[in-house]
Amino acid sequence: MKELLPRERFERAVRREPVDRVPVLYRMKSEAKQKLARIYGIDDASTGVKHNPELELRLGNDAIIYQIGINAQFSHRPIPIGETWSNHFHVGYGKSGLQGRTEDEEEEFRGTQDFWGPAKVVPENFPNFHPITSMEDLKNYKWPDPNDPELLEPIKDLCAKYQQDYFIIVDLSSTLIEAAYAHLVGTQNFFLMLFDQPELIHGVLDGLTDYYTEVGKNAIRLGVDMIRVGDDVGAQQSMMLSPEQWRELAKPRFKHMFTEFRKENSDLYIKLHSCGDYSPIIGDEIELGVDLSGLMQPTGGNLDQVGIKKKYGSDISLIGGLCVQRLLPRGQVEDVRKGVHDVIKNLGTGGGYIFSPAHYILADVPVQNIYTMIEAQREFGVYGKYPLN
Amino acid sequence: MSNAEFIAPTNGNPVLIEPVDWQQRVPEGWEWQSLWEAVEVGNHIYTDEFVRKAIDAEIDPRVILDDGLFPGFNLQGDRFSAQVIFIPEMLITARAMKAGLALIRPLLAAMAEKPVGTFVMGTVLGDMHDIGQSIVTIMLENAGFNVINLGTDIHPDKFIETAEKEKADLVGFSALLSTTVYYQKVTIDEFEKAGHRDKVKILIGGAPTTQDWADECGADGWGRDAVQAVKLALEKMKEPRTAWN
Repeated sequence: MKELLPRERFERAVRREPVDRVPVLYRMKSEAKQKLARIYGIDDASTGVKHNPELELRLGNDAIIYQIGINAQFSHRPIPIGETWSNHFHVGYGKSGLQGRTEDEEEEFRGTQDFWGPAKVVPENFPNFHPITSMEDLKNYKWPDPNDPELLEPIKDLCAKYQQDYFIIVDLSSTLIEAAYAHLVGTQNFFLMLFDQPELIHGVLDGLTDYYTEVGKNAIRLGVDMIRVGDDVGAQQSMMLSPEQWRELAKPRFKHMFTEFRKENSDLYIKLHSCGDYSPIIGDEIELGVDLSGLMQPTGGNLDQVGIKKKYGSDISLIGGLCVQRLLPRGQVEDVRKGVHDVIKNLGTGGGYIFSPAHYILADVPVQNIYTMIEAQREFGVYGKYPLN
Repeated sequence: MSNAEFIAPTNGNPVLIEPVDWQQRVPEGWEWQSLWEAVEVGNHIYTDEFVRKAIDAEIDPRVILDDGLFPGFNLQGDRFSAQVIFIPEMLITARAMKAGLALIRPLLAAMAEKPVGTFVMGTVLGDMHDIGQSIVTIMLENAGFNVINLGTDIHPDKFIETAEKEKADLVGFSALLSTTVYYQKVTIDEFEKAGHRDKVKILIGGAPTTQDWADECGADGWGRDAVQAVKLALEKMKEPRTAWN
């Protein structure tokens, strides 16, 4: 097959049509991105709202993904230790960890950022203030403006600059249940209030549905190819909440959202993302008309990649599947090579697959493992050649 | 190197196991069924009221714990392991259990009931996650351990200081992120440097952890989930340790 343009390759894979090779989508947190950018001689390694896709395109990405959801910024921006930063949802974020870290330890930590090995410990930013913890809070809560030009303008620029060659995805994560538990309400609160004050949880989820429906429609009007909704409901061995409860809380709201999206553009592609094991609801994603499901973190029921591909592969495309909890940060290069081979063979056979690690590449991934992954993907991801022949 | 291990849930739907001959340990006409059910469905208000009633009726606190609170809690623990119930249901049951325990604990202490062992628990430096380790803490308490939960983002020195002070038998490190899990090893190494490694058994847990990682970082054991963690803790108590002086 003749070589396809990246956007054709990505779109065809989403449609489960034949492609020349497996498209890719790498995403990095800023520490990993800076490390790699230095090697590729790229000066601007910005992530988050200032996302510069140049490095990712050099690595072979076929699509550009731009985040505007509740978690678009907090994990990418530097927040000084001890300080709180609030986003447009009025959620506060601070630096985790480093409690009692001495100057020597701080020095040692900085040293780990520079060499080729994995960074040892990277303090992450986490929500430390949740704005909605009572009905009163909910009543007084001011939802952000879905027409905010600060969110929408960069999408216009990205489309103008890149859409001719690349597939454009706008990411609305965290969108629903995750946005509620991790950001607006707080995790323990969320799960307890499901029983104590279900009306509060339903109110928050309704507010999120309305807001994201509007924001999504605005992005669609700018001509993006795909909307990604991200909602982490998977844990390590199973889902965080029962599939039945997800069907009650999330499914009808997604259904409403997607119906509204497709009124704006009936050809719009939709991606639904969850971390962890979400294998029990892949069938529901198909019912919702989701085109692309990921990121297939190999854990719990998701480990059965061959079984999932066989059962659902003709109705939904898949993305991800390469282990980022153990293999990518801690594996030897030959392990990474084998891992890439296996996941491409398991999920790529027959098409309808986009290669990606099962999450961001974090600071703890050694550069040689990133190289190995990219090389192995190029070697094993060609249709008509081993292992995709 | 393989992907994270997956142990399939045990099949079947666990059922409530009634304590043997429980009628012989309570006043005539007493019933526990409503308390079992309250813990099962996570009704902490009813649990609190009923345990107060049981205390007023002068039922032995150990009996209230074993015959009154445990059956519903164990049932939910088994269902959680079997993936019949999930985090929300487990959390409200844990909350009900906690309500009952709060009333009984001072009575058990007054009876000089010796704990099974002392367990120092915490999430390692750099990590703010605590849902999992909170559930493990409650389950360990139920199993009779004296648990000192230090919370999240705990410096190795703090673990060591607390283990020394409490003469801990077991120490547990939780971590949720692949970027913080390394501190499980750092903290274990610090126990070694402090000369305390053979005085405690060290258990680890958390999403990115596996048995392989436990072996690699030098832990004595890995708990796949809360139920396994308690079983492991009870086993490790039987293994020899050097005494604290």
